[in-house]
Amino acid sequence: MGLHRFKPVPSGRMGVLWTLSTIRNAAIIEFGCMGHMLYTGVALKRAGVYNACKLYSTHINETDIALGDTSRLEKVIEDVIERERVRVIFLTPSSIPEVIGIDISAICEGLQAQYPDTCFVPFGCGGFDRTQHQGVQEALTFLVKTLPKDMGRTQLPTFNLIGSCADLFRFQADADEIIRIMKGAFNMDPLCILSSDVSVEGIERMGGAHINLIVRQEGKDAGREMEKRFGTPYLMGRPYGIEGTANWLMKIAQLLDMEINSEFLIDEKEASLGRIEEVMPNFRRIVRSFPESATLSLGGHADVVKGILSYGCDELSFTKGICWCDCQDMEDEDIPYLSEDDWSKAVFSHDKGWLMASGEALEWSGKNTNMQISNPDTKWRIYPYEPPFVGFRGAVHLANLWINSNDPD
Amino acid sequence: MKSSLLRLKCLSEIKSGEGIPFLTPDVSPGTHCPMRMASVIVEDIEGLSSLLVGMPECTTHSRLFSPYPEGEKGELHWLYVLDSREVVFGCRDGVMEALKKMEKAGARSILLIATCIPDLIGEDFEGVIQEIQSELSIRVAFVMLGQFKNVSYPAGSWKTMEALVALMQRQITVSNGVNILGRSPKEEHTPLPSLFPFLERNGLKLRYLAPGASLDDFCVAPDAVLNIVVSPYTQPLAIKMQKEFGVPFISLHNCYSVEEIDKAYEEIAKQFNLSCKGVFDEERKEALVLEKQAANICHGLKYVLSLRVDLPLPLTQYFITKLGMKPLLLHMEEYYPEDKNYAKSIRKSGYDPLVCRVVNEYTALQILQELSPDLGIGYLPNTNDTFPWVTDMFDFYGQVGYGRSNAVLKRLLCAVNKSSHFSKGGTYGTSSI
Repeated sequence: MGLHRFKPVPSGRMGVLWTLSTIRNAAIIEFGCMGHMLYTGVALKRAGVYNACKLYSTHINETDIALGDTSRLEKVIEDVIERERVRVIFLTPSSIPEVIGIDISAICEGLQAQYPDTCFVPFGCGGFDRTQHQGVQEALTFLVKTLPKDMGRTQLPTFNLIGSCADLFRFQADADEIIRIMKGAFNMDPLCILSSDVSVEGIERMGGAHINLIVRQEGKDAGREMEKRFGTPYLMGRPYGIEGTANWLMKIAQLLDMEINSEFLIDEKEASLGRIEEVMPNFRRIVRSFPESATLSLGGHADVVKGILSYGCDELSFTKGICWCDCQDMEDEDIPYLSEDDWSKAVFSHDKGWLMASGEALEWSGKNTNMQISNPDTKWRIYPYEPPFVGFRGAVHLANLWINSNDPD
Repeated sequence: MKSSLLRLKCLSEIKSGEGIPFLTPDVSPGTHCPMRMASVIVEDIEGLSSLLVGMPECTTHSRLFSPYPEGEKGELHWLYVLDSREVVFGCRDGVMEALKKMEKAGARSILLIATCIPDLIGEDFEGVIQEIQSELSIRVAFVMLGQFKNVSYPAGSWKTMEALVALMQRQITVSNGVNILGRSPKEEHTPLPSLFPFLERNGLKLRYLAPGASLDDFCVAPDAVLNIVVSPYTQPLAIKMQKEFGVPFISLHNCYSVEEIDKAYEEIAKQFNLSCKGVFDEERKEALVLEKQAANICHGLKYVLSLRVDLPLPLTQYFITKLGMKPLLLHMEEYYPEDKNYAKSIRKSGYDPLVCRVVNEYTALQILQELSPDLGIGYLPNTNDTFPWVTDMFDFYGQVGYGRSNAVLKRLLCAVNKSSHFSKGGTYGTSSI
């Protein structure tokens, strides 16, 4: 990892914790120093997560480390079960037990017999070579392997949204837009929003959904797992742009062999296009007369970057600027992973075109922070009703950002 | 005693901060990490750069408190994140390289802040700095702040302040120079103790050393003829400055009673051949009146001390000896070396209260109620419908002298006088008001 000016790529442990932290009617207990859980709680509040999973830490001291003593964990579990009466307790790894080699899974096995009415779910991904994205992937996969109960399909068609997690910028608004268009296009309700808006009971009911919509790569294994166990089809991808969203809905229709509510689709497309049409002459002029200003430079989660880029390039004829993703495992020829040195050079030297990246990068380089599409964030997000980036409304929102940005022209 | 309190220890059994038991086994949300205090302090010292060494967790969260990688005066607040190889084999080479890069980027002096994992793997930063110092033209200090060794946040403050001694340089003593350790030169909220204007009127040159001061101020601080300590977080700094540079110190933060304050002020005045006679009469007289009034009203009241009380043992000694109050339980965030003497004195007075760390502020109140106290002092949420509470105590941090004692006593009296529990004859206690 080495020297950083900005926040480093978070660890796998953090990815696990952020994924679990939004699940209601559960508790997370971290065996480790208390500061990490305290600040995770602060970071979650800043991201707009409240009233979700109950967060506990055990703390750990020198004697515990020297003796490999895990009795603190057992006492905390006893206390939490007595007071909270939660049915599920997630046990998450932290850095010190990882170094000294405490086996949380083995401890869980012993505890499970002692507390048969509580489900203990130990998480791995504690290793020092694991990143946030691997942590999110592991948490999503483990959740769908562990908690869903056997059940048949719901009578009315329903869907699960897998991968909407608190680590993604504007996760609540994007999830709300997907729920809205699924309702409009198919009259389908969500069964489980994994994991940004769900309870333990919601995860248990996941097997009843007719389709799993996987909105980030890290959810692919979870989708496969659900397909294997429940035969539920899944669709990978995030719906960006007007045509992009319409195509995404078509794919769902094909997978489910269902008709799209054509009235809804036509209305949404017309309403979105009608609004964007007002500024299309400006966009066309920029593309024609100032091509260097009609470039999109994007940095963030690979799926977000690809989605916004395809909307801008395919539907509005913009061109690709410097684009990068924040995870080495997700890089490809089109969207490489850039180290801090490389992305900060790109951001600081950015001159023409639109630049959309993390709040931290935009703020520190003095660029337009309204163009934030990814985390790390620098602000509080207690208001969850901001405009989305995905769906029909997201398409209009992005066009609105681009036309109001001072960067081009 | 109820089962939830059985895990606690009495004051006489506590020998160090690590020995203070948690009130509850579960921690939620717990207390700040010492790293937080170090991050906040370095960000507020003009000219001082920092390198925080740790895992992605610590380095990411440090940006909550120190959000900017560069300060207004070119300070660098950079992060060094250990990879999986360095967790096993150490981060010596990487950190040395990072320090060189920071020097090249313009850092004037660097405080290296080591968090849990570098502390756990026993990285020898003293050795690292010794080795690299000859290749650098800037000074580097370090502080080890693994939370597994430093349970709560005060260690982050006092160890960071103490570590700054390594950046100080021996100076020719200035005969009228006095350092005020623990008060910021830019202080806006904490009232100025009347002692300091008095000293300035008499020709002394005061230098305020705390976050808010500049690195230059810290570097030349050994030129003072006396250090006056106004915060528990700067007492270790004063002790180290005395040891390294021979600058004597007088502490004011532990003095609550009129006699203690009289003695400390006289000692300071004596150093400079001054006389305090009549100077502080008004506030001193008020303190005597309030002490008497509080002794009448609070005598025999059983109390618990909760979160955000700076100096639980000096305050408890004061409450016992001057007001006749009875301590039941004390939340202690830190156990300072001086606390041993206060603990002894409290024991001599016939009390041995329970001692704990409140780490789950949401459940603490219910447990404290089992002790049936008459009064609570310090912060806890939802104390409105219980026994009387003096919830705001944290704003006394940095205050000293008669003024602080007066303010503490007024707040105490206000809570007790306001309470219906006492006007009805003492629902929770035996004392009559």
